[in-house]
Amino acid sequence: MAGDAIVAEELTYWYGDLVAVDHISFNVTEGEILGFLGPNGAGKTTTVKMLTGQLRPKAGKAVLLGIDAAKNVKKVQGQIGVCFEDTNLYEQMSAVENLILFARLFGIRQFDADALLTRVGLAGREKDRVESYSKGMKQRLMVARSLLNRPRVLFLDEPTAGLDPTSAESIRNVILEERERGATIFLTTHDMMEADKLSDRVAFMNQGKIVALDTPHNLKQQYGKRALKAKVSTESGELCDREVILDAPETPNAVHELFAREKVVTIHSEEASLEDIFIKITGRGLTE
Amino acid sequence: MNLRTIVALVRKDFSLFFRNRFFAIMTPLGIIAYLIIYFVMPSSVNESLEIGLYAPVMPPAFEQIQDEGLEIELVESEEALREAVTEGQYMAGIALPADIMEKFLSGQKPHINVYFAADTSEEVEDVIEVLITELAYLQVGEPLAIEVSEEVLGPDMLGMQIPLRDRLRPLFAIFLLMVETIGLASLISEEVERRTIQALLVTPMTMAGLFTAKGITGVSLAFGQAALFMAIVGGMSDQPLIILVALLLGAALVTGVGFLMASLARDVMSVMIWGFVALIILLIPSFGVMFPGTITGWVKAIPSYYLVDTVHQAANFGAGWGDVWLNLMVLLGFVLVIVWAGVMVLRRRFR
Repeated sequence: MAGDAIVAEELTYWYGDLVAVDHISFNVTEGEILGFLGPNGAGKTTTVKMLTGQLRPKAGKAVLLGIDAAKNVKKVQGQIGVCFEDTNLYEQMSAVENLILFARLFGIRQFDADALLTRVGLAGREKDRVESYSKGMKQRLMVARSLLNRPRVLFLDEPTAGLDPTSAESIRNVILEERERGATIFLTTHDMMEADKLSDRVAFMNQGKIVALDTPHNLKQQYGKRALKAKVSTESGELCDREVILDAPETPNAVHELFAREKVVTIHSEEASLEDIFIKITGRGLTE
Repeated sequence: MNLRTIVALVRKDFSLFFRNRFFAIMTPLGIIAYLIIYFVMPSSVNESLEIGLYAPVMPPAFEQIQDEGLEIELVESEEALREAVTEGQYMAGIALPADIMEKFLSGQKPHINVYFAADTSEEVEDVIEVLITELAYLQVGEPLAIEVSEEVLGPDMLGMQIPLRDRLRPLFAIFLLMVETIGLASLISEEVERRTIQALLVTPMTMAGLFTAKGITGVSLAFGQAALFMAIVGGMSDQPLIILVALLLGAALVTGVGFLMASLARDVMSVMIWGFVALIILLIPSFGVMFPGTITGWVKAIPSYYLVDTVHQAANFGAGWGDVWLNLMVLLGFVLVIVWAGVMVLRRRFR
């Protein structure tokens, strides 16, 4: 049975009077992808900074791979990979030079930069200066850099934000490959579809607290509703919407009556999205 | 701290420094420009006082005044004398009247015209006046009833005055040190601005290792150029070890200043502004060397004074360890305080 790669116990941080992270506790199992969702200012980045040793918690503790992140920062950082939301590459250096520099900082003497760059779709541009790259290429290089030390825990902060579909898909594939390798992935994102698609579990964060943490399926079961959405044609020829809630005792009769009494033009089932659930729980949208 | 990671960071910083067009151009251009200025300036000082003399009748006493450091040339007319002084050919011109001997013999006061060039200093004017008065006394047989004893305080530089270009050496050294420091500060500021510092600090690289690497980069860039310049201009011919130690401490000092600048500056432009402020302050002691007597004791509160004075004493007067050790100790003290302050404020910005 896999152990916990990340354990947060009553993790707390404040900036002056503002409590950014308010006594949150959770764990992430080895090999799991945890989607960490929340609007801007919810405390996601502060949480990631405490988990990665960039900030020392004001209270509580973060344990990564069995090591206290505040007490053995450098030991933890040697085993994790971090991909930041904002591009922070040496733009006057090439992709290969960037990777070689960080490989040396991790104490890696031998590694195949070309293979890593090929994996993120940057083959053929490895010797070009990063300043000539598009945003998507820079983001892919950021992901490649975070994989240099074959991290056991990978922190990805909005890795596909603002990217074209091809770049985003390329990064999602890398995330899944890393999970296959056994890495634990802490994925911070605004993209509900992405979180739904990739995450084993998702955590909703709002105003410094975790307000829900479960698998996407369970959250939908618990907070969402499944429904049949139909378009029916009236006698005058107009199209009207009809909705039948699924999983209710009266559902079979309602479906029967829909087909018996109305002229159904189209029909499809609909599940609640994570965004709907987030709004239901917090009363606010993710992009607020 | 891991030596390999420090070496990797230093190499990266050097690489980025020379990929920055401004610093890549300014670094060699600066040193070349200072060398050109140095070698174009005169290598010796003309210590003689050139005086023009119009004497229709030459009193015997006046014939004896060709002395060391005093060059007197006879001119044909008072008009020619005035013209020569106006054109700057002579610092001063003395026109004796035709009846000078008669006046001396009859006990009357002869009237002597003295002409000075526009830029003649007050001191020289006084000297000429004293000279004429003394010669007059000699001529009438009544020498001044005084005895003059002379004493030179400090090294006697008579006949071997320091040329201005050699006085400029400490100034050039400070310039070279500071320009490289502005380079270091902009490298650091850029790291903060572009958040690459965050990427560095989530690796096993420690904060101490990071500062060590930045310090090595700063000191190497500054020291390398200043030492090269001093070697080329002959500043290390007398006391090379003292000059090297002073420049090394100077490089460490400006690296600390670079840390402070990087912590204050929000972008490369503000690095430049802070850099020029620091440059002006650190240059002040150099002016004291170039123009002795222009600055007072407060200049000793500026850390670069101890660098400038050491370089000046060792390079221009051959001062030894016994003469400059106190300067070097004070300089070391300033280095420790400024580097410590720089590290403290900068690490807050790195978080």
